[in-house]
Parts: sequence; C-alpha cells; structure tokens
Amino acid sequence: MTMPSPFVMCVIVLLVLAALGLPIGLSMIAASIFYLLAAGLDPGTAAEQILNGLYNSYVLLAVPLFILAADLMNAGSLTDRLLKFCLVLVGRFRGGLGHVNIVSNIIFAGMSGSAIADAVGIGRIIIGMMSRAGRYPVAYAAAITASAAIIGPIIPPSIPMVIYALVSDASIGYLFLGGVVPGLLLGAAFMVMNAVISRRRNYPVEPPVKLRDVPRVTFDAIPALLLPIILLVGIYGGVMTPTEAAAAAAAYALFAATVIYRAMTRRQLHTVLLSSAKATTSVGMLIAGALAFNYVVTAENIPVAVQHFVAGFHLSKTSFLLLVNAILLVLGCLLEGTTILLIIVPIFIPTVKALGIDTVHFGVVAVVNIMIGLLTPPFGLLLFIVANMTRQPLVAIVREAAPFIVAAIAMLALITFIPDTVLWLPRVMGYKG
Amino acid sequence: MPLPDASAPAGGAAKRPGLRRLADNVAVALIATMFGSFLLQIVFRYVLNRPLGWTEEVTVLCWVWVVLWGASFIVADADEVRFDILYNVVPPRVRRVFTITACVVLIVLMALSLPATWHYIAFMRRERSAYLGMRFDYLYSIYFVFAVVCILRQARVAWLAWRGLEPYTSVAPPEDRIP
Repeated sequence: MTMPSPFVMCVIVLLVLAALGLPIGLSMIAASIFYLLAAGLDPGTAAEQILNGLYNSYVLLAVPLFILAADLMNAGSLTDRLLKFCLVLVGRFRGGLGHVNIVSNIIFAGMSGSAIADAVGIGRIIIGMMSRAGRYPVAYAAAITASAAIIGPIIPPSIPMVIYALVSDASIGYLFLGGVVPGLLLGAAFMVMNAVISRRRNYPVEPPVKLRDVPRVTFDAIPALLLPIILLVGIYGGVMTPTEAAAAAAAYALFAATVIYRAMTRRQLHTVLLSSAKATTSVGMLIAGALAFNYVVTAENIPVAVQHFVAGFHLSKTSFLLLVNAILLVLGCLLEGTTILLIIVPIFIPTVKALGIDTVHFGVVAVVNIMIGLLTPPFGLLLFIVANMTRQPLVAIVREAAPFIVAAIAMLALITFIPDTVLWLPRVMGYKG
Repeated sequence: MPLPDASAPAGGAAKRPGLRRLADNVAVALIATMFGSFLLQIVFRYVLNRPLGWTEEVTVLCWVWVVLWGASFIVADADEVRFDILYNVVPPRVRRVFTITACVVLIVLMALSLPATWHYIAFMRRERSAYLGMRFDYLYSIYFVFAVVCILRQARVAWLAWRGLEPYTSVAPPEDRIP
C-alpha cells in the first residue's frame, strides 16, 4: 500500500480536528502546518502566509469596521427608532409586526453588513413586541426574525461580500450593487409569506399610529435613515472605497448615538468596542486559518484540478450553478458561512471563469446561498441565536422558519436562473460584465 | 473546591481578573486606534486633500494585532467558531477524549513549527514598513506570542479534560458575531 499524499493527509487532519471540536481556525492552521511538515516544506510558511495575508489585505479592514458600525447602531438606539418608523409604515396590515420586522431588516441592511448583528439588534426589541400578551407565538417571532436577518448581508454593505471579493478578485462596489435587487426580492417573498400565514392564523394588526405622531416618529428616525444614503452616495459617487465607507458608517453611528440621541455612555462605548474586538477576532481567526490552508490548496493546484474535473462533464453554466448551489446548501447545513466562503468557494472560481459565468453573479448567488445556510438546521447560526434569545426549543423555531426557508430557496433559484436580477443594477451603474 | 473558570480567557497568567481586564483594554485600545486613524486618513485625504501614508500602516498594524492578541488573550475557548455537531452528541467521557486528542495534535504541530516561525519572524528584521519605518519583526512578533499562548491554552484545556472537567461546553451560541 502506498502512503496517501501529504495533501490528502492534510485534509484528513483538518476534518478530524474539526470533528473533534477544535475551533475551525486553529484546525486549519494545524492542518496547514501538518502539510508543510509532511511535504518537507518550511513549517514557518504558515506564519508567513497568515501574517502577510492579514497585513496586505487592506480590504479586510472593512470587516471589523462594519462590525463596529452595527454594534454602535444597536447600542445607540438607532435600531429602536428605526423600528418605530417601520411601525408607521406597515403596522396596520394583518400580521403587522411581522412586516415591521422584515421592513426594518431591509432598511437596516443598508447600514449593516452582518446577519448576526441584525438578528441580535432588531430581534432584541421586536421579539419582545411580537410575543407580548401572546399576540404571536414566540417561535414564530423568533423564526421571522432569523429569516429577515439574512437580508442584511445581501443588501449592501456586506461583510460576506467583502470576503468573497478577497477570494475572487471581483469588484466590491459591483458586488454590493448586485445584492440590492436579490435582497429586495427576498424581502418581498418573506412579506408575502408573512401575509399568507398571518391571514390563515388571524394574527393581529397594530393600532394605527396617531396622525399627529407621524412627523415626530419620522423625524426621530431621520438620522438612522440617512445612513444608508450616505453610504450609497459615498461608495457609488466614487467618493469613498467600501472600506472607508465602513469607517464613515461607524463614525456616523457613533456621532448619532452620542451627539444626536445621547444614548451612549462612555462605559457602553467601552463594551461596544470590546465586543467588536471579540467579533473581529472570531472572524479574523477564520481568515487566518483560511490564509494558511489556501496556501496548501493553491500549492496543490486544487482549483485547477477541479476545473479540469468539471470540464470533463461538459456542464452548462446553469447546471454548474445548480450543482454548486446544491453543494453549498448542503454544506451550509453543516459548516459556518465564513468558512465556506473562504475555503470552498475559491475552489470553484477558476471553473466559474472558464465557463464564462460572471464572477459578480456567482458571488451574489454564493452569498445568498450561504445566508440561507445560517437558517438551516442543524448548524444554522441564526437559529441558535434566536433560540438563545427566546429560550424556545430549536425544533419549534425550525418548524416556523420552514416556509421562510422555502421562500428563500425559491428566490435563490430565481437569481440563479436569471442573472439579470443580479447584474441589471451593476450594469446600469457602469459594470462591463 | 471551586470549579476552575472554564471561560477564563487564557491559560496560566491571565486567570486573574486584573490581567484579564488589562488584556481587554489592550484590545479596546487597538480597535479604537484602528478606527481613529482610519477616520484621520479619510479627513486628511478628502477634506484636507493631503493624504497621510502612516495612517494606513497604523490601521493595518492594529488589525493584525487585534486578531492575534484577541485570539491569544480575550476570546474564551467556548466562544470560538467550531463544528460541534458530533461533539455535542457524544457522551461526556468521549467528549473529553475528543478534546484531549485534538489538543495534543494541535500542541505537537504548533510546537514543531515554533522554531521555523521564530526564524521567519527574526528574518523579517531586515524589512521596515514604508512610512513609519517599523521593523517587521516587532510587528509580526504577535504571531509568535499567539503560537506560544495557543500551546499553553490548549495544554490547559487538555489538562482540565484529563481531570474529568468539561473544559468548554458549546451548547450556547457565541454572543460574538460573525457575519
């Protein structure tokens, strides 16, 4: 019997360590070191890849800055005011608070790039509103909160798209634009679903907001509503890079929270900075592990091998995209999104290019897919978060979330088959893809 | 006997709350500095039309450091992203075997790579950053700290598991966000 190649053993080490419960980032670093040792290469290369990769990927700075911006908005009562404004907009329809949940997520998506931050920030308030006096089943409130939160990283700005841009060399600006229509489609699909379910179960309508209160509620929300506009004009007016826009968003959220709303003490600011640092570390360790592991994958020419392998099947663009969607949906049930983006998606990039699939289209499809993965059991991170917030059994939430997951997968199919749903807006704005 | 605090941020030294707070404050300072110098950069580039080069270096430096510092000293073992489907369903005894095995493999691999890592970082002494002239070996030294602390922390986790304690239970999701 011959020894398996260093790469095969390296993958086995990775899978075994991860299955044994070691953090994914550390598992990837350890597997890479194993490969370097087994292949007789310099084991210091892992450190070299991680350090140079972190130091030279300037675009990655958008990740901690967007995390910080979302944390500041949640702590600084911008989220609360936005919810009140959405209540004026859609509260009077049947299942009104469900609609409020979705619409506020759509608007919030325009300032935040993280589904987790959205679920925590908006869910913290609206789950309480929905479940007060048993008006909605708590599990339904939790399920719709988790579902609506996936819109966050699909409508720009978006942390997963920044990470995709890093591994694919696609333009962040056009990726962001490509997410707008799919994000709105998802929002519409969720609202239809909520309307149908609310009618069938006779969920309540909200008492209409008094007309004389409308100007005050709107005025109160203006600073929050301005932020998406500032970001969009900043990025697409060519004024700022997405990374700088992330810093500007955080600065604006800090300004609104401290000066306009006076809702933040120095102590809270410290807490926000610390939680952002922790979140940055969590993502950063995954990126560090991926930097080391991707060196191995590249050294072994895996993406090219996959390209040749796929070429053997003579797949059309659409059937390849369907295949990738199926693979990512299954992986999304098992793995965490950033890991998939950093490890699995890059393997497909050369094939994507060889088949003539637009990398912006592919990126948006992949991100939507990975966001759905945050909702699918057993390893849907958003499910865990809302379950933890509401103390509801996971099974009950999954049952309530099922119609929304189905709606999301239908939208995923739509944007997969009709690339124009993604590419129309970027092209209008000058994308030559 | 009181149970050891399994969520303590680091093995050995950082068990004391004072040091833990210090570690937190360093991370907060790094994030704040990163944010601040980014803002300075934007103001100087777009408002004053005089781009500063050094701000970029400071932001990137803070980013590298906050990730590796955070991984070494502030993020609790239970809060890291892990694949815990299998881990959560096996009985506690098997779970402890899992933990010890994974820790030992990680410690051995990390330890084997330490000399080469040291060598690489020392080699970077020849390079300096473009604006501030920072020596890269100082800048990159945080990785060596991370590698050593990582070994110590995993050794502590393995030791706790060996003594029959649950070093981390990952039933609750991490409050810290990942996108």
